[in-house]
Amino acid sequence: MEIRPILSAMTRNRTGSALVAAQIAITLTVVVNCTFMAVKRLEFIARPSGMDIDNIIVVRSFGFGGDYAHDASIAKDLETLRALPGVRAVTPSWNIPMSGGGSAMGRRASLDEDAPTFNANYYRVDEHAFAALGVKLLEGRNFRPEEIMRSDAENYSQTPPTIIVTKALADRAFPGKSALGEYLYDGLNKGSEIVGIIEHMYGAWVDWDDFDKVVWLPQRPPAPSASYLIRAEPGRRDELMPVVETTLERTNRQRLLRTNSLEEIVANSYEADRATAVLLVTAIVLLLTITCLGIVGLASFTVRQRTKQIGTRRAIGARRIDIIRYFLIENWLMTSIGIALGTGLAIGLNYLLATQFDVQRLDYGYLVGGMLALWILGFAAVANPARRAAKISPAIATRTV
Amino acid sequence: MLSMNEISQVYRTELVETHALRELTLQVENGEFVAVTGPSGSGKTTFLNIAGLLEQASSGRYTLDGQDVSTLSDNQRSRIRNEKIGFIFQSFNLIPDLNIFDNVDVPLRYRGFNAAERRDRINQALTTVGLGSRMRHLPSQLSGGQQQRVAIARALAGDPVFLLADEPTGNLDSLMARQIMDLLEEINSAGTTIVMVTHDPELARRAHRNVQLLDGQLASPEPFVPIRTQQLNRPSA
Amino acid sequence: MFLYYLRLAKLSLSKQPMLTALMIAAIGIGIGACMTVTAYLYVLSSDPIPEKSAHLYAVRLDSWGADQPFSRDYPWEAPWQLTQRDSVALLESPIPVRQAAMRRAVYSAIPANDSVAPFFVSARMTGRDFFDMFQVPFLYGGPWSVDADKSALNTVVLSHATNEKLFGGENSVGREARLGSESFVVAGVMDRWQPTILFYDVNNGPMNDVEDVFLPWSIAGRKEIDGAGNTNCFKDELIETYWDMLESECVYNQFWAEIASSQDLEAYQVWLDTYTEGQKELGRFERPTNNRLSTVTEYMEIRGVAGDEAWVIMCIGVLFLIACMVNTIGLILARFVAKSPVIALRRALGASKAQIFRQHLVEVGLVGFAGGILGLGLSYAGLAGLRMILEEAERAARLRPELIAMTIAIAVLSAMLAGLYPTWRICRVSPASFLKTQ
Repeated sequence: MEIRPILSAMTRNRTGSALVAAQIAITLTVVVNCTFMAVKRLEFIARPSGMDIDNIIVVRSFGFGGDYAHDASIAKDLETLRALPGVRAVTPSWNIPMSGGGSAMGRRASLDEDAPTFNANYYRVDEHAFAALGVKLLEGRNFRPEEIMRSDAENYSQTPPTIIVTKALADRAFPGKSALGEYLYDGLNKGSEIVGIIEHMYGAWVDWDDFDKVVWLPQRPPAPSASYLIRAEPGRRDELMPVVETTLERTNRQRLLRTNSLEEIVANSYEADRATAVLLVTAIVLLLTITCLGIVGLASFTVRQRTKQIGTRRAIGARRIDIIRYFLIENWLMTSIGIALGTGLAIGLNYLLATQFDVQRLDYGYLVGGMLALWILGFAAVANPARRAAKISPAIATRTV
Repeated sequence: MLSMNEISQVYRTELVETHALRELTLQVENGEFVAVTGPSGSGKTTFLNIAGLLEQASSGRYTLDGQDVSTLSDNQRSRIRNEKIGFIFQSFNLIPDLNIFDNVDVPLRYRGFNAAERRDRINQALTTVGLGSRMRHLPSQLSGGQQQRVAIARALAGDPVFLLADEPTGNLDSLMARQIMDLLEEINSAGTTIVMVTHDPELARRAHRNVQLLDGQLASPEPFVPIRTQQLNRPSA
Repeated sequence: MFLYYLRLAKLSLSKQPMLTALMIAAIGIGIGACMTVTAYLYVLSSDPIPEKSAHLYAVRLDSWGADQPFSRDYPWEAPWQLTQRDSVALLESPIPVRQAAMRRAVYSAIPANDSVAPFFVSARMTGRDFFDMFQVPFLYGGPWSVDADKSALNTVVLSHATNEKLFGGENSVGREARLGSESFVVAGVMDRWQPTILFYDVNNGPMNDVEDVFLPWSIAGRKEIDGAGNTNCFKDELIETYWDMLESECVYNQFWAEIASSQDLEAYQVWLDTYTEGQKELGRFERPTNNRLSTVTEYMEIRGVAGDEAWVIMCIGVLFLIACMVNTIGLILARFVAKSPVIALRRALGASKAQIFRQHLVEVGLVGFAGGILGLGLSYAGLAGLRMILEEAERAARLRPELIAMTIAIAVLSAMLAGLYPTWRICRVSPASFLKTQ
């Protein structure tokens, strides 16, 4: 079977072929870009947090009333929580990592006022934070119990004597050397010594450039609110959640409580990204289905139109496989033209999205994947109509239609 | 009624030039029943298309019902086909999805008649061809002869000045063919001009006059000699 | 003739049901996908308070430091919010008809009835003008007094739901509501009120619910409150306490002014510029004067309420529709080509090209209409799906009634557009072709 006669048949039915090609081209454009963006989203959501998110319970406590004593309440809560069976570790904290709410500060790595400022989320935690978050101490030491400052302490500030930072922040502020023992300075040139380095954890806002720059301050959260990050024994989180809430309710009635799993809070922070990914994937699936059905529809129609011609071919000796091959090659040619066009369009659309909106540049692997997918789709779509064409009886040729 | 003067039709493709008609001149008078015969490839179909204003000739002059129609626009030609010509085809060409009533209705719709007038005309036309009771049937429920009657009713419903028939009995058995020819004669005797294209000499014999085409020209130099006489090689009565 | 064409179209479409179903599905899915996104964006970008939005202005002053602009992405913009001291100063301007500084906070609400547990309430600290400025409907009472603003009195306006929770829905005007450790006299109870977009504070979540309680903004200057909105600071200054924060260059207040006329608007701009010029002499406002007045919709656009994300999805949606339309063109062409013999016959029987054209345009229009109905259903489903996967879309992912007719119209128009070429081609069928038996 030669390609030339098929090509010449196609050029006579230029519009039909052009439409199939155009459809393939647009489908490739949309599918490649959507897949790329969806995968980027999913990768974004799946970034390893460094924390044991699945086992952490978050309780937010908000004190009210004249009788509420903040530091005493925290001490009592911690004692109660740590005594609960199934609880692995607890740290108080002012804010909750990856929750979309938090505080950030700017710090310099030297006393020079013109030195660059590094931004980081900061968390007020105690010496149990490593165990409670499930993060790893990479270098240096943990906070000592006596370092933890009460919220009513005289020297309570955002610049305590000692701090622990993430490796990401340490590497940014002190590139090429160990940050241990170095100081981070605030705007008034007060410094905090870095005593420990966290391997990895995330801060407050999932879409922030400095998401992985985190500082721990050895302090109780300021009144009147406090959160507790409670790490359960593996698998015991859900059973512990109601227990934790009722226990805390009983210890102090002068406050409001809100209990969630960290998993839920993190999922909430990524909700928009996940929704985008779902929308993109839906678009991909729908479009591939439509395109496939469209090709099936057109191919079936062509087969019906050519019944007589196919019968004649069969009568003069074409085998079934020759008929099938004819349709496959014809379809392959149209698909390939569409793919060639679509490749350009896909790159163009990505360029447009990248310049107009905050979309990354296309990774060309996706183009190759898209091409393969559409070739397969083209074959799958035309297979059945081609098989039906091959079943046309040679006797048709002698009949008048 | 119908007057063709040196009509030529040339089809050109990239490779060949085909002269389908060569300076054909033909007159058909009011009330005549003319058969146009000729072998395959003689130009019958082209003659039919030009006579029916389905095609425009490359050159020549064509007057229909006193009006020069050789240079009309597509729209004007549609109008004349609709108002003055009734077509009867070999394969009936009824629309399979429409019932008999709606099939006859088709040209009347384009004519712009109101509903009452259309209904009257359809009833009358179908009664004329003897199918007044089958209006709600689909073409596929009728025999070939009945289908051709519907086609004739469709051709008649608009009161055309002449009927153009293309092998009207080609798809019918001999009994049905005879009935259709009887019907056509009846219509003709009521005053409607008929031009019939056929390759069947038997059929042609029933016309008043026979015109033979050969290679796009009239085979007979004397178009006014009645064909029956000529064919039987007898002097005219 | 239109009805005749419509009848022919129905006949023709019922003849090849698979092909018809495919066309309707292609248009329906294309329209459905496109309109789902459009409906969402439409809500996000439409004017939430059209009666007044031309007179309402978000006021911003560029109080940021010389080193860098407030926003790296929009370096020409002034900060989204104001400092405490500038907000206090702005309230002195005589030009706006109404004006209010505001910020978000949280409180605990303690019902008088012991059987009801205390609960969190979101609070908006604002001025009495807020309610008239944004046309807040009241069920009982009304805004608090001018004096309450001036003297930072403990007074409160409750949302409908909060009044239900605290007072069982009774007229609570004049009664005391306990918030945190203090009591507040109820000045008014709002009727149910929830703008789709929380346009008066798009900085702190444009999809948020209206706050549960409203308190005089001046209270925040008298005693410590638990602020709950975005706070941005640039200056190296010592901020250890709540009071340090009030004195600082940190921005966390929103400010709205209702301006009566364009003359007043110009005057107000001059007034603001004069104010910041004065502040420059005190060493503040290090950047070039850049005081901004934006209308409700302008400010929503500046703050990207609709978001880049939505526009990217919109691009995809439009391409999606185009793909579906190309698909439809192919299918229409196929079915029209199959009809060529009948068209030739109709032409022979006297139909003009224009009549054939109209007949088939009606046919594709009918397909479009059916596709539009399907698309409408799919849009409803799509928006319901969107609400399921995106909580913040709860109010915005709705099909506004005015879009229903538009959806159908777009479907019919796109189908006709898709059918234009096939229809044009079918009109060119020669009346002489196909009439002979082949």
